[in-house]
Amino acid sequence: MIKVSNLSHFYGAEQVLFDVSFEIKEGEFIFLSGDSGSGKSTLLSILSTLLKPSSGELLLANSRVEDIKNIDVFRQENIGFVFQFHYLINYLSVYENIALAAIDSKKPKIEKLLQDLGISSLSSRYPNEISGGQRQRVALARALINEPKIIFADEPTGSLDSANSKIVYELLANALKNGTTVVVASHDMHTQNYATKTLKMLDGRI
Amino acid sequence: MIALKALKKNPFKSTLIFSSITIAVMAIFLISSVSQGIIGMYSKMIKTDGDIIITQKGISDTFFSNVDVSIMSKINTMPDVRSSYAMIVGASPVEHIPIAGIYGVSSNHFKHYKLTRGRYPKSGEVILGKNISNQIKSQMLKIGNKPYRISGLYESDIGFEEGGVVMNLKDAGVLFSRSSSYILVSVKLPNATDTLVQKISTLSDEIEVKTTKSFIQEYNQFKIIEKSSLVISSLAFLMGLMGITSIMSMIVNSRKEEFGIMRALGKTRLFIMKNLFFETLIMSFSAYVFALILSLGILATLPHIEMLQGYVNGSLSFTTALYVLVSTICMALLGSLMPAWIASKTDPILLINQGCS
Repeated sequence: MIKVSNLSHFYGAEQVLFDVSFEIKEGEFIFLSGDSGSGKSTLLSILSTLLKPSSGELLLANSRVEDIKNIDVFRQENIGFVFQFHYLINYLSVYENIALAAIDSKKPKIEKLLQDLGISSLSSRYPNEISGGQRQRVALARALINEPKIIFADEPTGSLDSANSKIVYELLANALKNGTTVVVASHDMHTQNYATKTLKMLDGRI
Repeated sequence: MIALKALKKNPFKSTLIFSSITIAVMAIFLISSVSQGIIGMYSKMIKTDGDIIITQKGISDTFFSNVDVSIMSKINTMPDVRSSYAMIVGASPVEHIPIAGIYGVSSNHFKHYKLTRGRYPKSGEVILGKNISNQIKSQMLKIGNKPYRISGLYESDIGFEEGGVVMNLKDAGVLFSRSSSYILVSVKLPNATDTLVQKISTLSDEIEVKTTKSFIQEYNQFKIIEKSSLVISSLAFLMGLMGITSIMSMIVNSRKEEFGIMRALGKTRLFIMKNLFFETLIMSFSAYVFALILSLGILATLPHIEMLQGYVNGSLSFTTALYVLVSTICMALLGSLMPAWIASKTDPILLINQGCS
C-alpha cells in the first residue's frame, strides 16, 4: 500500500529525515512513534502527499507519487486525514463539513456514516456547539466519507481525554476492519494497543 | 452556499468590502450620470428648433464665439429654411449670486421659455428662470453693474436654463460685446440639411456651419466633460479595486487555516479561487444594486437642491447602468484575483506544523 525508499527531507539546510525506507501493507495499523522533533509529522506530511520530499521515492496505492497527474484528486479519493486539532470549518455545520470533503458519489452516505459514528444528532450543529470529542469524531467522519485506502492521523487524541481517545481509536480500528490502512503518528502509547506494527522514529530515522 | 456562509461568518470584513464597492460604484454612477446630464441638457438646448448651427470659425467654445447676426437676413431668404434664431450664451454675477447663465435670444425664440408670470422682455428687461427667481425677490436686478427690470418668470424643460436669466439679443450683445454666440437654423425638409450647410458656409469666411448633430458629436466641451468623467470614474474604479484587494487580502490571511483544510481535503486551487471569486461577486452585485438605488435617489434630489439652481442634473441611462455593472464585476474579479491566488496557494502543511509535536 505504501512503499518508502531512501526518503530524505531538508528544511533549508537542516536535514530532518535521513534515508528512510519501509513498507506498509494493505490493512495494517501503523503506530508511528517518537519524541518531539523526531520527524514523525514531517514523514506523515510526505506520506499523505501534503509535502514533497527532498529526495527518495514514495509509492502510494501502487502509484509513484511523482507520476500522479492530479495530486489533489488523488488525495481526495484515496487519503483521509485526521489532525491533532479537529480543523473543522467553523461556519459550516457538521453535515456540511463532511460534505465539503465528500466526492459527489459519496454524499448520499453522509447520514449513514454519522449514524455509524454515533453523531447523527449533531448533523446540523456547528463545530463551536459540540464538544472536543465530538469534533474529533466529526473530523474522523470527514476522513472516512470517501472510503479512503489510507487514513493518516497526526496526534488524533492529542487534545482529547482518555474516554474520547478510546472512542477515536475504536473508530480507527473499525476503519481498519473495513480494509482501510491506518497510519497514526502519536505520543500516546495507547496507540500500540490497536496497532499491528510500530515504527519508531529517532532523529529522523526509523 | 459556502461563499454565502463565509460572508456571514465575517460580517465586519464583508461590510467593509460591501461599503468600499458601494462607494466606488456610486461615484462611477454619479459622475457618469451628471456628466451625461450636463451634455444632454446642452445638446437639447442646441437641438431645440435647430438643425444647423453657425458659430465663429476656429473657436473652441460657443462662449467665445461671435457671429454677425446680419447674415440671418440672407439665411432666411433661402428656400429650404423654415426659421432661424440667434443666441448669446454667457455667464455673469447676478445680484448676490456669484455666477448665473445669461441667455440673449432673438425675439422669435422667446416662446421656448414658457412664461409662468409677466411678459417676455423688452429692452432693459429680463425674465428669470424658476430656480433663480427663488433667490431674487426684488423687481430690479443688476447684471454686470447694469440694472434690468424683471418682466416675468419662466420655466424650461432644460434644467440649467431654469437657473438663468433671459434677455433680448441686443441687450445681451451689449453686455457681452458680441453680435451673437451662434445662430440656429431650422430646415423645412431633413434631407435638405447638408445642402443648406454648404450654402450657408459660402455666406462668410468667418463662420463655421455644421449640423447640430455633428456639432454635438465634435464639441470640445462635451469631449472634455466625457474625458474628465472617464478619468474620475477610472479613479473610483481603482479605489474600489484597491479596497477589494486590501480587504480580501486581510480576509485571506485570517482564513489561511480554512484554505489549508480545504487543500488537505483534496480541494483544488481552482475550487478555493472560485469560492473567493463568488464571495466577492455576491458582495459586488449587492453593492451594485444598493449603489444604483442610492444614486437614483441622489439624482432625483439634485434638481430640487436650490443651491445648484438646476445646473447639476443627472441622466442615468440603461447603457450606463450596464456599463457600471460590467465595471463592478471586473472590479470584483480583478480585486479578488491576487488574494484568491494567494489563498489557493495555502500550504496544508501549516495545519500539521501548528499541531507539530
